[in-house]
Amino acid sequence: MTSVLSYLRLPRRLRPVAALAVALTAAVLPGVARAEQVPSFVQDGTLTVCTNPTLPPMTFVKGQDVTHPEGFDIDVAQALATRWHARLSVITMDFTGLFPSLSAQRCGLVMSGIIRTPAREKSFDAVSYQDTALVVVGRKGTPSLSSMDELSGKDVAVESGTSYVTRLGVVNDALIAAGKPPMIIQQYPTEEQVVQQVLIGRVFAFVSQDVELFYRMRQLGDKLHVLITPNIPDYRHFAIYIRQNPEDRTLLQNAISALDSDGTLQTFRTKWSVTDQSTKGDAAQAGAGGMFDWGAFFSALTSMAFLHGALITLSVALISHFIAITISVPIAIVLNSPQKSLLKVALEGYVSLFRAAPTLLQLLFIWNAVPQFFPIFREQWFTPFLATILALSINESAYQVEINRAALSAVDPGQELGASALGLSRRDIYWRVIFPQAFRIALPPTINEFINLLKITSLASVISLQELLAVTQIQVARTFAFTEYYAAALIYYLVMVFFFLFLQKRVERRFSWSDRKKVVSNAA
Amino acid sequence: MQHETTTNPMISVRGMSKLFGKFVALDRVDFDISRGEKIVVLGPSGSGKSTLIRTLNQIEPHDSGMLTIDGKLINEKTDPIQLRCMVGMVFQNYNLFPHLSVLENCILAPMRVRRMTRMEATALARRYLEQVGIPDQADKYPIQLSGGQQQRVAIARALCMQPEVMLFDEPTAALDPEAIVGVVGIMDELAEQGITTVCVTHEMAFSRRIADRIIFMDQGKIVEITPPETFFTSPKSERAQNFLNQMLRY
Ligand SMILES: Nc1ncnc2c1ncn2[C@@H]1O[C@H](COP(=O)(O)OP(=O)(O)OP(=O)(O)O)[C@@H](O)[C@H]1O
Ligand SMILES: [Mg+2]
Repeated sequence: MTSVLSYLRLPRRLRPVAALAVALTAAVLPGVARAEQVPSFVQDGTLTVCTNPTLPPMTFVKGQDVTHPEGFDIDVAQALATRWHARLSVITMDFTGLFPSLSAQRCGLVMSGIIRTPAREKSFDAVSYQDTALVVVGRKGTPSLSSMDELSGKDVAVESGTSYVTRLGVVNDALIAAGKPPMIIQQYPTEEQVVQQVLIGRVFAFVSQDVELFYRMRQLGDKLHVLITPNIPDYRHFAIYIRQNPEDRTLLQNAISALDSDGTLQTFRTKWSVTDQSTKGDAAQAGAGGMFDWGAFFSALTSMAFLHGALITLSVALISHFIAITISVPIAIVLNSPQKSLLKVALEGYVSLFRAAPTLLQLLFIWNAVPQFFPIFREQWFTPFLATILALSINESAYQVEINRAALSAVDPGQELGASALGLSRRDIYWRVIFPQAFRIALPPTINEFINLLKITSLASVISLQELLAVTQIQVARTFAFTEYYAAALIYYLVMVFFFLFLQKRVERRFSWSDRKKVVSNAA
Repeated sequence: MQHETTTNPMISVRGMSKLFGKFVALDRVDFDISRGEKIVVLGPSGSGKSTLIRTLNQIEPHDSGMLTIDGKLINEKTDPIQLRCMVGMVFQNYNLFPHLSVLENCILAPMRVRRMTRMEATALARRYLEQVGIPDQADKYPIQLSGGQQQRVAIARALCMQPEVMLFDEPTAALDPEAIVGVVGIMDELAEQGITTVCVTHEMAFSRRIADRIIFMDQGKIVEITPPETFFTSPKSERAQNFLNQMLRY
């Protein structure tokens, strides 16, 4: 409407009148000047989309910036946002995190090359936007199949959390009913790992969608070929998923239909080669089975994406561990005191609970379950970064309590006696006498814990934290340079770990008072 | 030795008891110690000697009875820090702070508790380290010193707080004979300086030489309080007699 008003170039004082006139016209003549009605999942002028950017050409990271996925899905999402006069915000995460995030209202819709299935429609509304077909793919030279039954007893790889898993289950049930051995289904968290299993010959075939395959074929040249395209009517459409809401569904359906009829979708299809174009010529990228590509390795090593990922890994680990230590010292002191108390029982429960629960579960719980009870945790400020720090601080504090307890009880009780006989305050007894000695004892296991934590941060890719390993996987999905990118990631982890081991040595050298030989040799 | 038992005693104990759970470690003990007096506490192992002197600086608070130090009633409401400024203590195992140098061990409490500047505290510490005969060990760490040297540091550290009463809990028990001679020498010197001293020890010669009175304990009770000449020649109680016989066998 502002554009209409500025077009009219009316004197400023007349504008309110004009605005009223336009509004009236809009009300009287629906569809003429009225803006399209916006679905309720567009909030605060923002359309938030959850995606797992490891499925080219639908959604993947083409460049180095892992926070900016591209692809057919992203273009469609952008077109929708534009239609609804909204800003597009894309959240990237593991495939398995997509639907929980949608439930937790972290995003308005999920677009990630996901098949429309009746099972998913029980919990979510779906709108189809692209035809597709399921394909079973094997290595070049593998004879084609005439029916799915021929997969009996064979290893088949699929991406975990996808509908293929269910679909293959149906095939397996039929095989078992017919007295034949079922397929052995291997699930991998990302699409490129699925493909890699076939390339390295670990599995017989993988299951995917044709559109993805067209893209892979261009990357990998003639290393793959379609074994069979089974006719499964259920598995024919990619869909956009939203939380159930009939009105929103209709609005989304209308928007997609409009994009289809005005040729927008077709433009995108051509742009991303979503249909088969069999351009075998440009299989220029590093494929599996080749030599180690030093160029790819060094460009990964020096890329901003890896550096950024490593910084996230490092800062998450440092901040979490700092908080964990801060919490754990008072807890350890309380738990070490001889008196029984309710507080002590509660703290013991805390420590056991968080030592027992798997870290991955805690991360998923905080990210996906907690927001269902406390809406404040689905707001924008609660980023994956904060969620990871929250989960890891709590988790790590439970381990750190045990280290601190051991260290504090290893300090000779005579130290406290001696210090209090001198009249030192409780505070000074702890800070000047007990902590420095306990610190010396706790340092090596604490550094060990930290190194562990540094590596455990990689779990946070499931809640879409763009740490080092998540970055690596996204980059691998783009280039298929497994070895080179894994090697680059390894270098980053090694450098970080060795730095902290070095730091430990340096700090330990300052504790020469604990070792008679060292003091003597230092003095000499 | 003759001491003016004028006005109020330095330490006064009336019916004081200490329990560990149900176990009676101190059973209604009574005694007075005058200013400048030297007391040696003797008794078999487990008789409550350590417990007794630990109640005097309240690192083990007593459960019942009355404790007065320098005329001030000591109970759970007393600021323990003030009390410990006045009553220094030396332990059998020295309890030096291993992460601090000898000098730092000595200046920590004067600086943190007495609020001395580092310069004042250092000057004081050097004086006492000189007095205990190890002025040149100030920058070493405890682990680099012999047992005897460590105990001297512990004594200097306690003296740096300039206490009016010194408590010693078997200060020579962990030392070899040669080191004992040194440490006992220092305690002789301290005794001459007139500081009120309560010492648990098995050093009979030392006790005889410096003690004004001997407190003999058994099973948490004070059995007798007598001057050393009487105690070592003709103890009143049979238990003291047995104890002395046992000691003399070694
Ligand atoms: N913290 C404590 N908790 C429980 N019992 C204790 C504690 N401290 C001392 N006791 C007990 O109190 C009794 C007296 O102990 P204390 O250390 O005073 O004996 P002692 O005369 O110093 O013996 P020793 O000559 O062996 O040092 C002992 O039976 C001991 O087991
Ligand atoms: Mg004792």
